[in-house]
Amino acid sequence: MTTEIVIVDILGGHGRVLCRERVTLSAEQRRFTIGRSVEADVTLDDPYAAALHAVVEIAPDGTITVSDQGTANAIIVGGHRHRGAQSLVVLDGLLQIGRTPLRIRTTQQALAPEKADYAAVNGASVPVGLVIVCAAICGFFVAYLGWLLAPRDTASIIVTSMLSASIAAGVWVGGWALLSRILLGEWRWVQHAAVLFGVTAVLLIVSLLLNLGWFVFTLPAWGAREVIEIALALAVALYWHLMHASNLTHRRAAVIAILLPAIGFGAGGWVQSRTQARDVNHIGTVETIYPPGLRVRAAEPSERYFNRLSALKAIADRKRAAIRADEENDAAAPTIGE
Amino acid sequence: MNSKRNHVRGRAAALIAVAAFGVSMQIHAQTQSPQRAAQASVLPNVVSEGAREILARVRPAVIQIKGFFGSNTAQAFHGTGFAVARDGLFMTNYHVVAQKIQYPDKFRLEYRTPEGNTGAITVLAIDVRHDLAVVRAAGLSPQPLRLETTVPSKGDRAYSVGFPLDVGLTITEGVSNGRVEDSFDPRIHYSGAINGGMSGGPALDAAGNVIGVNVSGYRFEQLVSFLVPAMHAQFLIEKARASRATDEALTKEVQAQMRAHAAELLGAVSGAMPTQIISGYALPAKLAPFVDCNASADPDSEQPVQMVTIGCAAKAGLYVEHGLYSGDFRFAHYVLSTTKLDAWRFAHRLSALSGAAGEHGNRKYVGPFTCENSTIQLKGFDASALVCTRSHRKLEGLYDITVRVTSLNELHRGFASHLDMYGVAFDDGMRFVRRYIESMEWKP
Repeated sequence: MTTEIVIVDILGGHGRVLCRERVTLSAEQRRFTIGRSVEADVTLDDPYAAALHAVVEIAPDGTITVSDQGTANAIIVGGHRHRGAQSLVVLDGLLQIGRTPLRIRTTQQALAPEKADYAAVNGASVPVGLVIVCAAICGFFVAYLGWLLAPRDTASIIVTSMLSASIAAGVWVGGWALLSRILLGEWRWVQHAAVLFGVTAVLLIVSLLLNLGWFVFTLPAWGAREVIEIALALAVALYWHLMHASNLTHRRAAVIAILLPAIGFGAGGWVQSRTQARDVNHIGTVETIYPPGLRVRAAEPSERYFNRLSALKAIADRKRAAIRADEENDAAAPTIGE
Repeated sequence: MNSKRNHVRGRAAALIAVAAFGVSMQIHAQTQSPQRAAQASVLPNVVSEGAREILARVRPAVIQIKGFFGSNTAQAFHGTGFAVARDGLFMTNYHVVAQKIQYPDKFRLEYRTPEGNTGAITVLAIDVRHDLAVVRAAGLSPQPLRLETTVPSKGDRAYSVGFPLDVGLTITEGVSNGRVEDSFDPRIHYSGAINGGMSGGPALDAAGNVIGVNVSGYRFEQLVSFLVPAMHAQFLIEKARASRATDEALTKEVQAQMRAHAAELLGAVSGAMPTQIISGYALPAKLAPFVDCNASADPDSEQPVQMVTIGCAAKAGLYVEHGLYSGDFRFAHYVLSTTKLDAWRFAHRLSALSGAAGEHGNRKYVGPFTCENSTIQLKGFDASALVCTRSHRKLEGLYDITVRVTSLNELHRGFASHLDMYGVAFDDGMRFVRRYIESMEWKP
């Protein structure tokens, strides 16, 4: 006498399993009932279900069919309400009775292959040594910024900035670790720390090299460069954090990681550029100077530069024509005085 | 009308200190007053006799000029005027009537005699450059005061008449200190009190002749005041007699005079660009006698970076209307050197001085900046140059120009030079910028 197990999952919101019923089938008995009554094989606590709501039959080949027992609310399969349905085929095993979604699983159903956990597969191999090296690079940069201001009380400047940087890093890594714990059940401290320190270290090095390169090769200033560097670094960091903290697919994580910084920095940049375009005192060209001995490219003959200046007149006139004078700003706002 | 002048700007730091001092002095004076009064009664009466006679003579010729916004009966500003010709022509300062010229539909002018008679005032001619205006007072034709076109000598007795702070007709007594040397604006230095509201009033010699027109005084300084020499008034009276100026024509006239002023200012510094060598760099120095330069440094500094600051100002800016000065320039060099700091950190210090931010800009008067920057070859060294300009909205054809030049040659020496020009013609201004930058030279 062969018996067969069918699992009926009673689902809650977001597809979570609230309760799992095991129904045993035999060669003769291949059907079971679902309803609110204790006499039903699977009992639902759903006021919108009938006492005996539906009869489910599992064919030997695993085909699931369902029959409505003349209920008021009928059975919902594939998003449609099937009133008085008889032997309705339920392809994926998903149906709704009353307001309760159910999932019926049989032994014949094909199982999806094991899903690779990005973090479990790739993340476990994060060497702690690398994290420490990256953190040391970040620490070195904090110390460098303190050193630039020296000779002042360099030690206390460095300690203060180290402390605040550590607190910020702790909050960031802790937040992501907490998210991992909630969504995946693991803290993954090392992975998140690796992402933060790795990306920050690369950002700092690249940004210093670019700054230096700009100076060494005497390139014209490009105001948006810094913002783009930070946005890119944020996108990379977000992608890896998301992969370590959630079950998102590569593609979705990438989309989120690109969209969030793009929208944030894009909107912020747009607002800032508008504000600056309205500010008649804004100049904003800031150049970092390094020791002149590092320069390799010859400077421009001053003649050429002065010739270019004549073009400024037309641009300044155009900007003047475009400005709105009726907009209230701080400088022009009424003040009390003489 | 308060006589706020451009020169006051650069002295803000000094003024604050003196202001605090002034407060304590005032308290001191109050507690001393009974004794002072007792002392005063002992002094001979000669001084007040002269002033009394002068005031009695000029009294019929002096009026208070009041400005009102719209139909308000409370005044917006006030100044003084005095009769200069038979047919009701009065002299005052341009800055007293400036709001009326700039916003003819918004303001109206009235006079008030010391006796309390009132009537309407129309502006006939203006001279922004010398801060003068000739107005006609309807229904008033007193005996005009006589103008004395020679500048009195230093030490001559002088008087100033007006309505300071709206407290009624007042005469102050002082001493003429002759023509102010090295000033772009022709001015007589009067050592006597001139307060807000006396602007446009007559300053007289002991014979009762007008030697100048009250124009300004430093606040919180002690009795350093200025007069416009009477000779500049003479020409404007002739012009006013022939004038049929409309409101619109006067507004346009201001713009034309501002353009002429800017051209005159840059013309006055169009000769060879004098330079001064500081720490091996030849940098623009005192360009003309009227350009006021100051240099400062910490004499026994233990600081890792030594900085010499040289600041020069033309102090030629003219008051156009409330909040708008135009036709001026100033520049400053910050020359740095170090024996203690490495090249990397020294460069970082120089970076901090190479930045630029516009000042005093108001969207009402100017548009936003547009800039061009580059690393350029100068005589004997390379430098980073930034030139920005913005276009004036109110004063058509005039521009503000801001320049930053930072040296890029030495590891332990360098300078950042800042030049700011307000309200100059674009081509004139850029020609000056070019001469300014090209005069710089590395002379180790």
